[in-house]
Amino acid sequence: MSTYTNEQVAHLVEGTLDWETTFRMLSMPKDNSRFKQYVEALQKKVSFKDRIVLPLGPHLYIVQTDRKQWVTKCDCGHEFCDYRENWKMHAHIYVRDTEEAMTEVYPKLMAPDTQWQVYREYYCPSCGALHDVEAPTPWYPVIHDFEPDIEAFYKEWVNLPVPERAA
Amino acid sequence: MTIDNSSVQVLGIDAGGTMTDTFFVRADGRFVVGKAQSNPGDESLAIYNSSVDALAHWGREVDEVYPELVTCVYSGTAMLNRVLMRKGLDVGLICNRGFEQVHSMGRALQSYLGYALEDRIHLNTHRYDEPLVPVSRTRGVTERTDVQGKVVIPLREAEVRSAVKELVDAGSKAIVICFLQSHKNGSSEQRARDIAKEELKKLGVDIPVFASVDYYPQRKESHRMNTTILEAYGAEPSRQTLKKVSDRFKKHGAKFDLRVMATHGGTISWKAKELARTIVSGPIGGVIGSRLLGEALGDENIACSDIGGTSFDVALITKGSFAIKSDPDMARLVLSLPLVAMDSVGAGAGSFVRLDPYSKSIKLGPDSAGYRVGTCWPESGLETVSVSDCHVVLGYLNPNNFLGGAIKLDVQRARDHIKAQIADPLGLSVEDAAAGVIELLDLTLSEYLRANISAKGYNPAEFTCFSYGGAGPVHTYGYTEGVGFKDVVVPAWAAGFSAFGCACADFEYRYDKSVDLGVAQLASDADKAAACRTLQDAWSELAGKVIEEFVINGFKAEDVMLIPGYKMQYMGQLNDLEIISPVPTAQSAADWDKIVEAFENTYGRVYASSARSPELGFSATGAIMRGTVATQKPVLPEDPDCGPTPPPEARIGTRPFYRHKKWVDAVIWKMEALKAGNHIVGPAIIESDATTFVVPDGFETTIDKHRLFHLKEVR
Repeated sequence: MSTYTNEQVAHLVEGTLDWETTFRMLSMPKDNSRFKQYVEALQKKVSFKDRIVLPLGPHLYIVQTDRKQWVTKCDCGHEFCDYRENWKMHAHIYVRDTEEAMTEVYPKLMAPDTQWQVYREYYCPSCGALHDVEAPTPWYPVIHDFEPDIEAFYKEWVNLPVPERAA
Repeated sequence: MTIDNSSVQVLGIDAGGTMTDTFFVRADGRFVVGKAQSNPGDESLAIYNSSVDALAHWGREVDEVYPELVTCVYSGTAMLNRVLMRKGLDVGLICNRGFEQVHSMGRALQSYLGYALEDRIHLNTHRYDEPLVPVSRTRGVTERTDVQGKVVIPLREAEVRSAVKELVDAGSKAIVICFLQSHKNGSSEQRARDIAKEELKKLGVDIPVFASVDYYPQRKESHRMNTTILEAYGAEPSRQTLKKVSDRFKKHGAKFDLRVMATHGGTISWKAKELARTIVSGPIGGVIGSRLLGEALGDENIACSDIGGTSFDVALITKGSFAIKSDPDMARLVLSLPLVAMDSVGAGAGSFVRLDPYSKSIKLGPDSAGYRVGTCWPESGLETVSVSDCHVVLGYLNPNNFLGGAIKLDVQRARDHIKAQIADPLGLSVEDAAAGVIELLDLTLSEYLRANISAKGYNPAEFTCFSYGGAGPVHTYGYTEGVGFKDVVVPAWAAGFSAFGCACADFEYRYDKSVDLGVAQLASDADKAAACRTLQDAWSELAGKVIEEFVINGFKAEDVMLIPGYKMQYMGQLNDLEIISPVPTAQSAADWDKIVEAFENTYGRVYASSARSPELGFSATGAIMRGTVATQKPVLPEDPDCGPTPPPEARIGTRPFYRHKKWVDAVIWKMEALKAGNHIVGPAIIESDATTFVVPDGFETTIDKHRLFHLKEVR
């Protein structure tokens, strides 16, 4: 196990970490302090003051609001919903379900048949960031990807105090 | 001692990444090892400094010794580093139209070459390096030769002309031409080469042109293209380095011609046409040195083991010869160069030691402290425990005499780190934790060594194990215990063994060419004779190249001893064997029968007689031509036997030494003061400036007249 500086972890977040260090991180067991350092690096990047509890995607987080509620939030500041709900239900959705829409993103004949598979793109209603893309069969319900057990994660995995949460 | 005996004849150089070793041998077999910090900016200076260091032992000066030398062989890592750091020449590439991206894409396996197994199977770590030639300096030209060597689309010559002009405009400092199937029929490639040369002349540009068929006419397109590019990219700049080294020797009065260790196990001149094959040379020296020592001791089967800071290298010599791999990988590139076959595992004396945070098991490497030794060296700046730290804590290494006292080691610092990182989390004492690390390393290495021998179908009891490398003798007892070798040998000059081995190598060129011959078991005499003609044509072509190389160095064709060889397999099988030809030339059906017989004998020896399958017929896949000229090699020291009792002045004192859960007092001996015939029973530690030889309780060692230590387990 190795330890890394906050600067190295910040480079990791930005994707500018040198390959040798990245390789070492990849091939060694994860360092104990990584999560804490990683969240701190993310916290410095976002414009809002709310504390990041768990990153969900490159621009999406579960945060603790000033009222100590945990909500899913875009890095532009847009709040989707309570962290236990599926944030996708509050996003703008674009469904690629025609050949024409598919050829915008794939060369002709290299995209799936939309009778069988469609793309559903989930955008932030405020800033337009693309947060997620699903590739389900056309009739499939909106997927709730991730229902994290944050208490267990903090207590049993990263050994940190669980952030406060209003009931 | 006569004047003749004290003249210094042979110099071997091993210019590594951190240290440059020189190894001088006198006519009477006495030798000295010199060490100096490497100097990537000017290697010749590091070699000079290292020579000064070595010759000081004899109280002699460089200016009086260099003129005495008759042989000097260089090996180094400069070219490898140049390629790894992508600091070679700006090369332009001409290939078949439509194949411009092939070199950049590379072979998939190049994305994980050189990785430990754990990382190979971990897809996220796979990564493609920058190509040696970018697509912006690659041009395709219309041409196609099929797999049978038939030109199906003739070369469009005008395209070659414009490609050359564009590549020159793009800043190319050399042009490489590599077409598909050119090993089968090189005519299109040779035509393109000639046009390129004409065009460059017209443009008034003086840059070299490399056609793959002139260098490496072998099947496997990626390998051939990579190797030819490597020749232009890395070898030409290396030639400048070697010229500088040669010039400095000349300045100090040297009369010898500098030679370089090459991957095929011979040495070649720095003026040689094919210099890419000097990319890896250091580790090969050890194998060559082992073979020479084996001949002196009458051992034909040798397991060569080299333990350095980061890795453990194993090579086998069977019946006096080592295996050659014809498509090895180096610098994360697949290449077609003949390479002395070696296997490596990434665990060495400087490997870092860590605890897996989940399983609490001890992990060694894959990274290492390298020249920074470990946390026991306060100046290293290291915080992570290394294997050397464990050795220092357990009394294996002398903290006040590391590298001859060049650096002082802090035992308490190492203890503290081991306690915090390994011992406390495991609930062990510092000694038991450190001993556990050493046991794990010994077990890893001995299993690797054993597996390497038995997986090839051999019995360790038929092998003598040679142990060398800077850290080899510390571990020898550990990785040979219980393997059951016939004999275990540690040369007194283990630390300079690679440099010594380089000096032992023949002045030898080797050229290879792919051939495709298939002859049935009961073929007609006419078919056999036709096959012989094809093989002989290839040999003649290669012999011309070999002789040309020697002529560059001022030898005459009749001075060169030519050794033809071939690669053969049973038809339809996948792996070929390399055979030295039993006939000097191949002409008749009777010659073919002898060629086949030699193959079958080798096959029976390598695998099993009962596995021979002559009913499948025979394929010859490659022609090989080696040529050598006579050179001066180091002679081994011959000391009179002084009896089993070591002289009292050799005994320096004792040191507490921990093994098998108890501290004992190990007797410390000075290696240089021990005499031939001396017998030492463990626990003992034999020290010299560059090497520490550990003989624990349960082992004994005798030094022979050649200054080789023989290590035995006491029953």
